Amino acid sequence: MTCDIVPLLPLGIVGFGAIILMLLAAFEKIHLEVAAVFSMGVFALAFVMQLLPAGPDNLAPYTALFHGMLVTNEFTKVAALIILACGFFTAMSSTSYFRLNSFCTLEFYCLMIFATFGMLLLTMAHELITVFISLEIVSLSIYVLVGYNRKSVTSAEAVLKYLMLGAFAGAFFTMGAALIYGAVKSTGFEAIASFIAAKGLVQSPALLAGVFFILFALMFKIAAFPFHAWVVDVYDGASVPVTGFMATALKTAIFAVLANFLILDVGLKDFWLDGLFYITVFTLFAGNLIAIGQNSLKRMLAASGIVHTGYLLIAVIAVSSNTISGHIILFYLAAYAASTLGIFAALSYLGGKDEQRSTFDDFKGLAKVRPYSAAAITIFLLSMAGIPPTAGFMGKLYIITTAFQAGQTTLAVLGIVSSILSMWYYLRLIISMYFHEATDPFEIVGSPFAPVCTLILAACVFAISLFPIAI
Amino acid sequence: MFEHVLSTMIFLPILVGLVLLLLPASQGAARGTGLVASGIILILGIRLYFGFSGAGGMEFSEIRDLLPSLGISYNLGVDGISLFVLLTGAVLYPLVFLVMTNQSKGCYANLLITQGAMAGAICAGDLVLFYIFWELMLLPIFFMIGIYGGPKRLPATIKIMLYTVAGSLLMLAAIIYLGVVYHTQFGEWSFSAAKLAGLELHGGAAVLAFTGFMLAFAIKIPLFPLHTWLPDAYTEAPPATTFVLSAIMAKIGVYAVIRYVIPTFEAEFARYALLLACSGVIGMIYCGIAAIGQKDIKRLLAFSSASHMGILALGVFCMNIQALTGTIFQIVAHATSTGVLFLFAGMLEERMQTRNIEELGGIARQAPIFAFFFAVALLASVGLPGTSGFIGEFLIILGAVKFHTAIGVLAGTTLIIGVCYMLWMFQRVFFEKTNDRTAGFKDLTGIEALAFLPVILLILIMGIYPQPFIAKIEPAAKEQIAFVRPAAQVANYPVLEKGHVPEQK
Repeated sequence: MTCDIVPLLPLGIVGFGAIILMLLAAFEKIHLEVAAVFSMGVFALAFVMQLLPAGPDNLAPYTALFHGMLVTNEFTKVAALIILACGFFTAMSSTSYFRLNSFCTLEFYCLMIFATFGMLLLTMAHELITVFISLEIVSLSIYVLVGYNRKSVTSAEAVLKYLMLGAFAGAFFTMGAALIYGAVKSTGFEAIASFIAAKGLVQSPALLAGVFFILFALMFKIAAFPFHAWVVDVYDGASVPVTGFMATALKTAIFAVLANFLILDVGLKDFWLDGLFYITVFTLFAGNLIAIGQNSLKRMLAASGIVHTGYLLIAVIAVSSNTISGHIILFYLAAYAASTLGIFAALSYLGGKDEQRSTFDDFKGLAKVRPYSAAAITIFLLSMAGIPPTAGFMGKLYIITTAFQAGQTTLAVLGIVSSILSMWYYLRLIISMYFHEATDPFEIVGSPFAPVCTLILAACVFAISLFPIAI
Repeated sequence: MFEHVLSTMIFLPILVGLVLLLLPASQGAARGTGLVASGIILILGIRLYFGFSGAGGMEFSEIRDLLPSLGISYNLGVDGISLFVLLTGAVLYPLVFLVMTNQSKGCYANLLITQGAMAGAICAGDLVLFYIFWELMLLPIFFMIGIYGGPKRLPATIKIMLYTVAGSLLMLAAIIYLGVVYHTQFGEWSFSAAKLAGLELHGGAAVLAFTGFMLAFAIKIPLFPLHTWLPDAYTEAPPATTFVLSAIMAKIGVYAVIRYVIPTFEAEFARYALLLACSGVIGMIYCGIAAIGQKDIKRLLAFSSASHMGILALGVFCMNIQALTGTIFQIVAHATSTGVLFLFAGMLEERMQTRNIEELGGIARQAPIFAFFFAVALLASVGLPGTSGFIGEFLIILGAVKFHTAIGVLAGTTLIIGVCYMLWMFQRVFFEKTNDRTAGFKDLTGIEALAFLPVILLILIMGIYPQPFIAKIEPAAKEQIAFVRPAAQVANYPVLEKGHVPEQK
């Protein structure tokens, strides 16, 4: 029992850090940037703790805690690492952002750490009520973060949309959990799995409806078709660091839950396979069509996030019951997180005061004035587009390979077709940056944190591609 | 160092190029560095040529695991086919740095990166590795056209990028499909071209995978009707880029068909050879006729290049040893002649500030050496006996006649179109009256003339005494063709018709 504390240590550090920061914030004793550094420290410490082995006598790859309420294994560990890294880099780049934008207060960082706490819990949760609680911890913090810039109209619009729809999703989830409890008499994943294995999914209408509701709630959170409509406006309205955080850490956490839930039982996944297939295809193409039409960079990135959700769904579909294939989802998430966070880090110091530079045209000629920033953004874009030798390419290679292997040839080919379409909007930014003359001096004020962060992430994009995973 | 000669030839230019991009070097220093780097590559290339035994099979191999879990390996090697494609690049590249004196620093750096990536694509024996280099060689081209290109460069860049990326991503899908099929058939992961050649492929999926590969290569070559990106890209690109695109990169498309498509998809290849050969001949005639009407000398050369790529493609799809040997020979011959022609066109533009044929004239009187060199390259390009172009085209037409008489005859008789537009252009640019603009045209300087001289000599030597080259090509060509024959002999092959089967001899 004593060893159970070790896997929970990162969670504890993050939760404790959030509370300390909240108390400090109440007394307004510390400076904003100190808070940023403090949260970076919390994330870094938790990251290191997560990397440590779980103790000598606890080498089992799979540990159930609190009677199966939480579960840690390789999958949750790596997912937690990605989330913590996302938090770290977001905190780092936000210092530069808040030199240019003045609406920040201490609670911003506090909420971010709370959100991360919820996400960590989410990856480990193996029980519906725990999932719900952690989902709400995350959602509540993110709602506030989205609307943090109170004076901005788009921000208010974003938070309203997200809050309303998110509340619906939360209600769906609770409804689903209740129905499942009615059928299974338990909310634990283990119990649900054994129930499905014994009696089958379709035998109990309540169970079926419950699973239905829960999947829809999760689909809403990852912005899969047809629940993708909110993403563009919400990402656009939220401030740059928050958008980056939502696009990466939140997506990682929800995908971890989705994967945990879907691999409960083979029957459960097979039942949804056809539905998931169409959802994936529509997600890919809806995302692309939305992204092609955008003029604003943030909106384009939001829409491209929908496309990446589609790729991840391909991996989810192709994941067989063996746990190894889960690594492909995590690899893709890490690759996607590095490049997306990188672009948002670059935007947070290049965007200027009040995010005045936001459209493709605003970045015309960036390469002439700031060649290194432009080169870094190019690397991130190429990674998102899946051009070798970046991490995005390896991620896509793994996903397409598993899709072929799982017999999903159509899905693999459609994934490739969608990445051809996506070339257009990624290239468009590169074209603006490189092939036009500069009209804007792109002066940079603010801390060097965000540029350094961009540099590290650009290196990460290459480093991750070298990280081998088994298939 | 010599056991890693291929790696050096790939990564030295890429590293030097990247360093040049990152450091604030002057234009002259960049050009000098490029010249030195490409000179080293040339020396290595020459040593490679003399170290090459020509016994068939891969030589100078380097095999190392890159990603064992997926069977992706760092697998390099050259055979008689790749050696010549590789050497063409190595020989021609120093010329660019010598002759093109006023490109910007970024352009020189990008040229080096392209050189390394192209060498990688040529030597790769692993399909994923090949794909990585294949994409990598496109990126610098994209930036070079977009940043340093002509006034209408934006549409040209978008066209070439979307076209080629669409093709290569579909190829990626096909590559992964092959890997997965290999995994199911043999129980291990591998993307090695040699191992994938042993796959048993059939059915609709094989045809789709074949289409994926062929689309990528047909776009790169380019094969009619996928050639529409070419005139714009060639015209808008800076001279050095056009040179690289036409002289080497297009050839890698043809080379890749020989190297990767023939061994793996022997049945599909035999089945669609006639169709593809027809498309080659149509492209050859169509682009030739289009070239006659061009007013811009660079655009004319672009269409001429497209037309010649049609002949090369025809040679590949004839599926016999003569045509294949001819194709590889012609790859070198066409690269040298067209490459030189594009460089000359670049110099004309640089000195005259125009590419309009009507505004030029009488240059032969002002610059006899320039005119003579231009004439040699031009005659080689149209295939005059005594120049390298003749040997290649002769072998290809010979093979084409053996393959399908009508196609062979059609290809043989329409070669005359090339003579039409080339000689007419030569007449208008070099003869006729000197005007105000061309009166001040300066001939090649001593260094420039010396730089071009080896290539011009090579064109002549290859035309007069081709045997040493053919002797090195033939064993490898035979090995490749050996893949096709058994497939064509398969009895009762569904759609195989009479005309598709290469005659036995």
